[in-house]
Amino acid sequence: MLSLRLTGIEMVFPGLDTPALSIPALDLPAGAGLAISGPSGSGKSTLVNVITGLERPTRGKVVWNGIDIATLSEGARDRWRGANIGLVMQDFHLFPGLSALENVLLPARLARVADAAMIARARDLLAEVGLARPGQRIETMSRGEMQRVAVARALLRRPGVIVADEPTASLDAVNGAAIGALLIGLARQTGATLIAVSHDPALIGRLPRRLTLAAGRITADQMPETC
Amino acid sequence: MGRFILADLRRLWAGSGIMVLLIAMAVALGIGITLQERALRLGSARASEKFDLVIGARGSETQLVLSTVFLQPAALPLVPGAVLAGLQDDPRVLWAEPVGFGDFHKGYPVVGTTTRLIAGTTTGLSEGRLFAAEGDAVIGAAVALAPGEEIVPSHGEAALGGHDHEGVRYRVTGRLQPTGTPWDRAILVPIQAVWHVHGLEEAHGTGEADHEEHEEPAGFDADAALREDWTAADLPGIPAILVKPASIADAYKLRQEYRVRENTNAVFPAEVLTGLYALLGDARQVLAAVAGAAQGLVAAALLLVAVVHIGQRRRQIGALRALGVPSPAIFLLVWTELFALVCAGIALGFLGGVLGATLLSRSVGRVQGFDLPIEIAPGDLAGLAILLVIAALVAAAPAWAAYRQSPVASLRA
Repeated sequence: MLSLRLTGIEMVFPGLDTPALSIPALDLPAGAGLAISGPSGSGKSTLVNVITGLERPTRGKVVWNGIDIATLSEGARDRWRGANIGLVMQDFHLFPGLSALENVLLPARLARVADAAMIARARDLLAEVGLARPGQRIETMSRGEMQRVAVARALLRRPGVIVADEPTASLDAVNGAAIGALLIGLARQTGATLIAVSHDPALIGRLPRRLTLAAGRITADQMPETC
Repeated sequence: MGRFILADLRRLWAGSGIMVLLIAMAVALGIGITLQERALRLGSARASEKFDLVIGARGSETQLVLSTVFLQPAALPLVPGAVLAGLQDDPRVLWAEPVGFGDFHKGYPVVGTTTRLIAGTTTGLSEGRLFAAEGDAVIGAAVALAPGEEIVPSHGEAALGGHDHEGVRYRVTGRLQPTGTPWDRAILVPIQAVWHVHGLEEAHGTGEADHEEHEEPAGFDADAALREDWTAADLPGIPAILVKPASIADAYKLRQEYRVRENTNAVFPAEVLTGLYALLGDARQVLAAVAGAAQGLVAAALLLVAVVHIGQRRRQIGALRALGVPSPAIFLLVWTELFALVCAGIALGFLGGVLGATLLSRSVGRVQGFDLPIEIAPGDLAGLAILLVIAALVAAAPAWAAYRQSPVASLRA
């Protein structure tokens, strides 16, 4: 589990006068659960890109457990992200032609960190997300099943942080609720910090802290007690 | 990684297949031309190996070689029989034997010659015996007849309006071992039989062989004894004389002597063929240029395919990067996939080229009777190796583009 501290973050894109993202300060303790919402273009994706190290902010520090990943090289950020962040994306980004198990293991294999223990863990995770056939080809699965595979893939390397970008947006209500419950449950179980970008009130409602963005700025940072 | 590449290729099998085929066709074209040209050179050189010096009447040197070495039908002017007699008495000559053409049987040329020429140019019989009487015939290894069969020769190729020599029958007495030359398709008969069939006895005719006037097989007697010791007086005109000189120096002297003589000509078939090879070489250069242009087009098409290939995978690559896969691994992935496709194309093209050239050689060999050996030289393999190195470098360009691609940009794509 990792804690996050953002300081003086600004993301300026060429040709735009105002920064796409401007966050003077944000603290997130290890093991916290955070929902980020806001209208389209409000900077949610940019914020996710910055905190996962996919993009380097124009200014500011992105400190995860004392490491400012904004100072790391691109290769080092890739390695850091691979080891510390479990990413779940709206479009799953699974690879057809491979089985569920192969999909779960693919990033780890390409990063040359998959060993026998990790393969065993991949099988356990698939069972845990409710998939009984690890050898099933991905293209023969339903969307709900696909997102389960993506969740298992995100958790494979025991990440300290799970970042889910609109994880339920392309699923029906039943599957969306199931995936939301799965993410929250697994994050609690592993103690991982969970950051979910979402429009889904059901998912937002289950996370203790809610951040609202508009025009690249935090407009609300709530922690309702009834959670 | 292998499984991922295979799955990816399976998913985009049509595009991958076309890419492999394009490469294969370009490579096959280049290899095929090289091999076929070499086969033609090797084959014709081997066909003329036993033909040190050919003496004929004045006329086309090339035709003299094509008719004697490759048995190409043509009306050759005749040299007087005295020339043969003179050569046979010449101490610079190991043997000099006549060759007479003009007749065919089922498309096989019937060649009149002597037992000494057969002994000097072949490795012997595979079955039966040499001819011993005027009506005996020995067949080349590729002639679809069997000892014991009888044949009626026709004057000129039947397909070209030739006519049968009535009353003439040869008995096949033996079959020669294969020589890999056009003579494997020949039916060899005693030269005296050819003379008798055509009524060419006793030194008549030194000009163009005009066969229309003497159709009668005047003196042909199938059972007459074989006679191969002639005197100048009883020798008719001869289309060509094959000469085995005693030494290389003698060969050059004889060639010189019979070149300056009136009405005779002497050629080294190898020399004439060298001239033809030069021509062949020029033709090959033209073909090679065409093949090169085709390969250039394919290379351009491949670059386009590679760009499309990367375009199709932008999101995939972006996702892999987002999931923490290091960019060198992405480079290796893209490079391996492209290079594997190119290698498959080159391998397939090489096999296709060799197979194509072999089939072409075989079909030419069946018709022309001589081997066109397909031989792969070390240079060909070196060429392939160079092609592989270039392919490896070219595949690196899209791989580099993928390596440089920002994971965020590709996820948005």
